[in-house]
Amino acid sequence: MKLDHFETTVIFALVSSVMLGLVTKRTDKERLRYGLYCFGCFMAALFGIGWAMRLLHG
Amino acid sequence: MPANTASAAPSQPLWSPILLIPIAWFIPGAGHFLLGRKIRGAIVFGTVLVTFLIGVAMRGPLYHPAADGGDVLSRLIQFGGWIGDMAAGVFYFAASFMGYAPPDVAGYSPDYGSKFIVAAGLLNILAIVDAYEICTRQKD
Repeated sequence: MKLDHFETTVIFALVSSVMLGLVTKRTDKERLRYGLYCFGCFMAALFGIGWAMRLLHG
Repeated sequence: MPANTASAAPSQPLWSPILLIPIAWFIPGAGHFLLGRKIRGAIVFGTVLVTFLIGVAMRGPLYHPAADGGDVLSRLIQFGGWIGDMAAGVFYFAASFMGYAPPDVAGYSPDYGSKFIVAAGLLNILAIVDAYEICTRQKD
């Protein structure tokens, strides 16, 4: 299987967010919200660092 | 006395932690399943399995603790990676038993693959800690 960097990072963010949401909070609603929050943070970091590298390296 | 019984009950573990931890390690999600958290156990199993399978599909090589050569840092990385691989439990042993041993070739895809296999083990460690806390009544 050949995935590009973006696809690989999104899949990693997804599985990590699922597990982090599952093990950290006490209610299902809190778990879902925390999982979505983690996924959003991963995505923000992905796009932020991606654009930073593009702007710095051209 | 009923009052003593009521106060002692919450401190009693739901299951033997000594047994629960190795079971939860060997079969990801089994710890939650044994504690009655069946949906969460299924999610843990599925998440660890998917992560491991993606790593295998990307032909990520497994780490080996006794990899010859290299400096102390390289051997430390190999050993840490091997611990991470092993933490995936039955998936690691099944892959090894079935002869999964791709060569460590250059390229980003096998590199990501090996990290996914380690990540599967690390996610399982998170689930083991969660199952332990549920078992000892530190959380629901």
